[in-house]
Amino acid sequence: MRLRPSRSASLRMTLWVASGIILLSLGAMGLQYRVTAQSLEARQVETLRADLDAFAALYEQRRIVALREAIEFRVASPPNEQTGSGPDQVLYLLMDRETKLAGNIPDWPDGLIPDGAGFATEGAQRFDFGGVSYLGVARELPGGFPFLVARAQTDSMATLADLRRLIGWVALVLSGGALLAGWGISRVVLGRIGRLNALADQVAEGDLSARLPASGGYDEFDVLQDHVHNMLDRIEALNRATHRLSDAIAHELRTPLNRIQQRLAALPDADQQAEEIRAEIRSTIRIFDALLDISAAEAAHGQRPGLVPVNLSELADEVFELYEPLAEDHGLIMAARIAEGLWVLGERSLLAQLLTNLLENAIKYCREGDSITLSLSERDGRHVLEISDNGPGIPQELRAQMFDRFSRAERDRDRAGHGLGLALVQAIAARHGAKLIVPEAAKGFVIQISCPKLDPKA
Amino acid sequence: MTASGNPARILIVEDDAVAAQAMAEAARDVGAVPDLRETYEDGLQAASDGAYAVILFDRMLPGGDGVDAIAKVRAAGSTALVMVVSALGRAQNKIEGLEKGADDYLAKPFDPDELRARLRALLRRQNMVALDNDVIAFGDLEIRMKARTVHVGTTHIAISPKEFKLLSYFAAHAGDVVTRMQLLEKVWNLHFDPQTNVVDVHVGRLRRKLENVAGRPIIHTARGEGYVFDPVRAAE
Repeated sequence: MRLRPSRSASLRMTLWVASGIILLSLGAMGLQYRVTAQSLEARQVETLRADLDAFAALYEQRRIVALREAIEFRVASPPNEQTGSGPDQVLYLLMDRETKLAGNIPDWPDGLIPDGAGFATEGAQRFDFGGVSYLGVARELPGGFPFLVARAQTDSMATLADLRRLIGWVALVLSGGALLAGWGISRVVLGRIGRLNALADQVAEGDLSARLPASGGYDEFDVLQDHVHNMLDRIEALNRATHRLSDAIAHELRTPLNRIQQRLAALPDADQQAEEIRAEIRSTIRIFDALLDISAAEAAHGQRPGLVPVNLSELADEVFELYEPLAEDHGLIMAARIAEGLWVLGERSLLAQLLTNLLENAIKYCREGDSITLSLSERDGRHVLEISDNGPGIPQELRAQMFDRFSRAERDRDRAGHGLGLALVQAIAARHGAKLIVPEAAKGFVIQISCPKLDPKA
Repeated sequence: MTASGNPARILIVEDDAVAAQAMAEAARDVGAVPDLRETYEDGLQAASDGAYAVILFDRMLPGGDGVDAIAKVRAAGSTALVMVVSALGRAQNKIEGLEKGADDYLAKPFDPDELRARLRALLRRQNMVALDNDVIAFGDLEIRMKARTVHVGTTHIAISPKEFKLLSYFAAHAGDVVTRMQLLEKVWNLHFDPQTNVVDVHVGRLRRKLENVAGRPIIHTARGEGYVFDPVRAAE
């Protein structure tokens, strides 16, 4: 299975850590934003208070008249850089009920209700006038004189907007950086882990001697690699020992059997009985070979070394030709439908053995008049070898364990055989990465061996 | 049996005494002189020194594997034919041995008749003068190698390509016992022991075809051993 960076744990981890850091910095910036907003507001209130204090002093002396003069003076004076006096910066309005006495706006802003009578900044209200946001106090001075002093919030709002934009950009850059860092880290980690995974796959495919080149470092990945290598060395050694053992068993058991056979031959009058004993020895050796072949094929399961391109069509033809006369002698009808030029990566002698085992089985169990068909065709990108017959088939209760060693049907006890044929077929199929399919057949036995194809031109 | 008239020498490298004895007897039976060695090193030494027609090498000998010795024997300039006789007798082992240069490979336990038949085949091969005759004639039986046809007198016998291969192998070993296992290996290139008498069926067919036309047995049965192709021998 290939690792994708999008599913990598290191990417997830990096993103978690990064989003934590981003959240913390955004929180800090948000706090700073609030502090800034508060201090800006405080400054505005301060300016407002200065205005109001001045007006309050004048009002103390000469009431409305002084107030009116002061407002007129302020409106008339040229705009001041800091405090300003235009209606976009500051609003002044003094009215006598419905009529304007002085101010820089013609009318009382809609919806603004005068509140209280003093010159304090408490109870300052926010309101919109002519598309600008203001903070100010609206009072009704004793005698029914509505009075308004307000300062535009344009500057502080612009400052805050700048700050918000800055926070937005920082958040964007941080997230981008986090994604990039996460991707980079996961690539590096995946690269290292990916090599180990590739090694594990190679080993699983049967190449026990596969190793990674030493990286020279000593980080956690190098340690892991060392551990995997040690484990593989051990497995390889055990595997070799098993192979040596089976060779030794073969040698140690065949040698005494050989002596028996030689002594048998040396008997003065080798009679019928000696011939029978010889046949028994041969049969014993056959079991023995089948068992060793099964283990060898299983041990080499999926291993590519030792496999060569084999023309399966040709081999199937040859084996068919070999068995066809025998089937005919047994009164069976044998037919072949073999597609030409189908190649597989395999071991010729094992594939031949698989074919002969299946054909010999079919010939052994079919009765006179039954037919056997051997076919080879390309199906769904695989080469499918099918051996089918319309003989007695396999008993239902044996279907589950027909590929087990030494499994035989009760009804076949009187027939020669050891129940190793199909076990060997299965081991050989596995050795070639082929799938065995035994479809339920209404009558007879059908087995399909679906082999990975090989393009001979490649 | 050699051209000079001296009996052929056969080197036997085998550590199991009973097997070695059986091999020596088989060698004497085919008219050769056996020479016994017990270890890999001794065997290799002898193979390099002496002029042998055939060398029988065991595998898993004290000191080494007979299959590995083949290349060394060849490198030492020996023209002997090498037969590996080993308890490592699975198809895989045989193919490995043959691929590494063995001329024949016999699994233990072996039938002494089988060994004799194979020794004869090897000795014959050793003495065979490359005939580039297109026509091999045994009395009135004529085999044309290039045209791949068989005639008895003027009558053509229709045989399949596989049957022709079978007949050619018989013809190359005319007069000698040829075993079923040999036929399966040399004609069909299959290196295992089938449970059925599949070879007999093929030999039977070929034999009937030849006999029907020739009017006499061409391929004889050597009971318990195999077959003998002898077109000029009278019926038993």
